[in-house]
Amino acid sequence: MLILLAGIFLLHIATIVLLLVATIDNSWWVTQQMTTDLWGTWVNQNGNWNLTSVVTNSQEYLQAVQATSVLACIFAILGLFVFIAQLFTLQKGQRFIFSGVFQFLACLCIMIAASIYTDIFHKNDPGQYGYCFILAWIAFSLTLISSIIYFVLRKKVK
Amino acid sequence: MLAFLALASIALVGIAPQCQAIVIYTGWERHALVGSDVRLSCSFFSWRWTSEDVTFSWSYRPDGSRDSISIFHFTGGAPYVDNKGPFRDRLEFVGNPGRRDGSILIKNLDFSDNGTFTCDAKNPPDIVGRPSSVRLLVFENLPVQAGVITGAIIGAVLGLLVLIVVIYYLMRFLVARRVFNLSVSKHGKKGKGKEGSQQRQGPVLYATLDQSKLKASASEKKKQESRKDKK
Repeated sequence: MLILLAGIFLLHIATIVLLLVATIDNSWWVTQQMTTDLWGTWVNQNGNWNLTSVVTNSQEYLQAVQATSVLACIFAILGLFVFIAQLFTLQKGQRFIFSGVFQFLACLCIMIAASIYTDIFHKNDPGQYGYCFILAWIAFSLTLISSIIYFVLRKKVK
Repeated sequence: MLAFLALASIALVGIAPQCQAIVIYTGWERHALVGSDVRLSCSFFSWRWTSEDVTFSWSYRPDGSRDSISIFHFTGGAPYVDNKGPFRDRLEFVGNPGRRDGSILIKNLDFSDNGTFTCDAKNPPDIVGRPSSVRLLVFENLPVQAGVITGAIIGAVLGLLVLIVVIYYLMRFLVARRVFNLSVSKHGKKGKGKEGSQQRQGPVLYATLDQSKLKASASEKKKQESRKDKK
């Protein structure tokens, strides 16, 4: 029982870490000379990396991706605290609905962020997706699994 | 005594004109779209009454150039607009000198109109003052300021979340109060009984799906514990 609980807890922490790394690091799209998005562009000039602002025609979409990925982080972190609170206050036999809702909201937000980014940005640009983009999609699947587990899990009835 | 008074009066006269300098106000920067009109406002503050000989002058210095040319002058009660320079047929006087307003309207903006516009106003005998400048920036489409949409989305969603949580707890509080009122009157036992039976029905319906695994793991643990105790 404790192992199950520890596993669920570790899964939640893993999703938080993945979401934070995907949101904070500027590596959603990489080429030979630069790595860019969401907050700035790192350009490699003669061995020196310089940070400049993101140049794009879709400023509004970029800000929407920024907002939803930050919201996903916030919901995942809040969900962790709600889960710990519910461990102590939930009645026996009840489900962890509240924590599941927060994880589900985080899943929804990061899905919106990653979908907007996939559809709008870098359609014809040379280069490839960076590791933060991949982490965002992995975080989506992990938060989905985590929220389903919270919806199914029940507090042990002695 | 008299010498002291004379010195004091000379000092006051020396300071006074600085207090009475004319102060001119324009904006700091103006943003506008290509093809639109922009109103450049200019007003002044002066300790004297507005005289009939009040004058306004606008001059323009393009971005990257050091020379400025005069484009508007108001004197003797009549405005004189630019009829040869870059703003011919595009400049219009929309101010009210009687109310100390010397604003001009520039129509049909183009990218070549980027630059600094300087307004100089004189209110005789109050003529000592500094001209004030306003910078004009012409855009193709107005840029979204950094972070405005981001902050708006985050704020709106978090605000909605807080609102939902508050409403949820408020409803629970109100429903709890109603149950309390019901229990005081006749329907007390029925109300409490209904809640209790619902709580019992929930786990009974779904217990077979979840409880079996939990019971199996719990029983395994008990067996392991009993074996350890025996050992």
